[in-house]
Amino acid sequence: MSVFTQVPSEQKSVDEDLKAMDRFGGFTNPYEQKGKFRALRKLPLYFMIIIMIAPYYWMITSSFKSVKELQTNPPTFWPKKWIIGNYYDSRFNPIKFQQDVQQGLFQRFPELKYGFLRFIFNSLFVTVTTTFLTLFIGALAAYVISKHRFKGKRVIYLVIIGSMMIPWQVGIIPNFLTVKSFGWINTYWAYIIPALPKAFIVFFLAQYLSGIPDELMEAARIDGAGEYRIFWSIVLPLMKPALVAMMILTAIGEWNNFLWPLIITDTQSMYNLPRAIADISNSAQGNLGTQGVLMAAALLTSLPTILLFFFTQRHFVRGIVLSGIK
Amino acid sequence: MQSNRRLKNSDGVSRKTGFRRFSDGGFSTYSMLAPFVGLFLIWSAYPVFKSLQMSFQRYNAICNKDQYPCGSVGLKNYSTLIMSDARFHKALFHSALYVVGAVILSMAASLALAIALQEDNRQNRILRVIFFLPSVTSSVAITLVWGWVFGGTTIGMANAVLQRLGIISHPIEWLATPVLAIPILIFLSVWGGAGFGMILFLAGLNAIPSSYYEAAVIDGAGPRERFKYITFPLLRPVMVYVGITGTIGAFQIFETIYLIFPSSVGSIGGFKDEALMIVPYLYDAGFKHFRLGYASAVAWVLFAIIFVISLINLRLTKSLEDLR
Repeated sequence: MSVFTQVPSEQKSVDEDLKAMDRFGGFTNPYEQKGKFRALRKLPLYFMIIIMIAPYYWMITSSFKSVKELQTNPPTFWPKKWIIGNYYDSRFNPIKFQQDVQQGLFQRFPELKYGFLRFIFNSLFVTVTTTFLTLFIGALAAYVISKHRFKGKRVIYLVIIGSMMIPWQVGIIPNFLTVKSFGWINTYWAYIIPALPKAFIVFFLAQYLSGIPDELMEAARIDGAGEYRIFWSIVLPLMKPALVAMMILTAIGEWNNFLWPLIITDTQSMYNLPRAIADISNSAQGNLGTQGVLMAAALLTSLPTILLFFFTQRHFVRGIVLSGIK
Repeated sequence: MQSNRRLKNSDGVSRKTGFRRFSDGGFSTYSMLAPFVGLFLIWSAYPVFKSLQMSFQRYNAICNKDQYPCGSVGLKNYSTLIMSDARFHKALFHSALYVVGAVILSMAASLALAIALQEDNRQNRILRVIFFLPSVTSSVAITLVWGWVFGGTTIGMANAVLQRLGIISHPIEWLATPVLAIPILIFLSVWGGAGFGMILFLAGLNAIPSSYYEAAVIDGAGPRERFKYITFPLLRPVMVYVGITGTIGAFQIFETIYLIFPSSVGSIGGFKDEALMIVPYLYDAGFKHFRLGYASAVAWVLFAIIFVISLINLRLTKSLEDLR
């Protein structure tokens, strides 16, 4: 489970033992490589690392290159001079055309009051609201399904699990028509409401809850607590690890959502970040200077999820592994 | 101790009657279930049936009774798709090629990475993070970066590097060469998916007790035998999972094609349809040409394919397991 992070100390002592064994002819690493070309065998790995990093490197360095440098051929691999013109260029004047000066990212979309910030807000707002609401209603349903007895429970649970097998593209056209008939095109409703029922979250949380003994909830019930009270002050705290894992997965999924916003929005003010940078990419066709702005936008779009991942690695990996192996 | 047991016993009575132990379908049960079930019915259950219904209909943007009536057409959408739609056949063929290539190569890369980075030390932890990064990066953002790396006749990074290393003398038009479309998409899929599979394989590898390997070494098994007789069979459940989810995910590829293989006529999949696949074709039919009934039929064909592949995959691994 500790794929990225430090091993717990207990595990560590076991590792120490095994290492000690190793010295006596034991065998901790099943693929211990011996021989002359040991270093050479790692060559493919180094090659893969370079390819892994390449696009990130290109994205970051290009976003700080000047228009002139972006247009040079062959391209430079390290910016001659680091500039922030692709984000905001104070020399830019909408009335006067200047060579080598272009609209920075935050100067674009002048028809929107806050320009590019609007997309950041849209993405943030939609991601945060969707994540919290979807987890909340998912957790309620999961609690009832795993800890209550009522008629039709098996059927409901089976339908929810069964629905996970259906690719979501199957429902995309009817959902588009529903959104349209509600008059929700170009609204936050269209982003948030259809994204709320996530079968996987209910399944995952119900599985998690089934591993938690009922005694705690019973005790509260005997003390006279209502079901909502039990849910809020006992079940939710107990589910915290599972909730955190699901929260990260959902948030990253919502932040990176592209096909659905593509269908339900056609005015710029309602774009989310991926939709907006696809738009910038369209306008950048054939204009190398604009690629710098595009790279800046790509960087700003991918940075939040990467940071979220860095700070929550352990929960994140636990979520993936649990959801995968179970 | 004694009092504890007594409490448990009294609880056992309540277990039988269910009194206060569960909420037996009272108001709170249904009111807690209602938000999810309500939304689920509207946005998850209804659309499935609706799209099934629509797939048997002509359901276009323009409907007029005399010339282009909308409504039930029976199996016509499916028969057109399967018998005579050359573009769809192309899309299916490309999807099949892409899925086979992407799934096999991604799995091989994931497994190799998991084994290479299995040892738990600082360096490997950092490398795991690096390989996992694409899974949390916005695919739109990173695809646009790749589009530029491969793009531009001479200013793309790929051409610049290859030329500097002397591997190629003339720049390659990566994205405008039809033969390269699917290999590039497969490459991008492996690049983006290898880290995800790696994490699952690492979890699988960590679950194998090291005593197995020690016993094998005592019995004189070399690294190759150890892999063949211990690692591989014990990782099979993880492989099935990675394989199935990888296949399903690969069939649903859309963004990459939409972003780096646009074509001039407002459709997607490249100028010669060299990168046309199922979901892009669905988008094209449904949201570019507004043939919603037809697009629904495409969606159901996609579902059928994914369903059958999952079943075959499960069966196959089951029978393999029975053989042992």
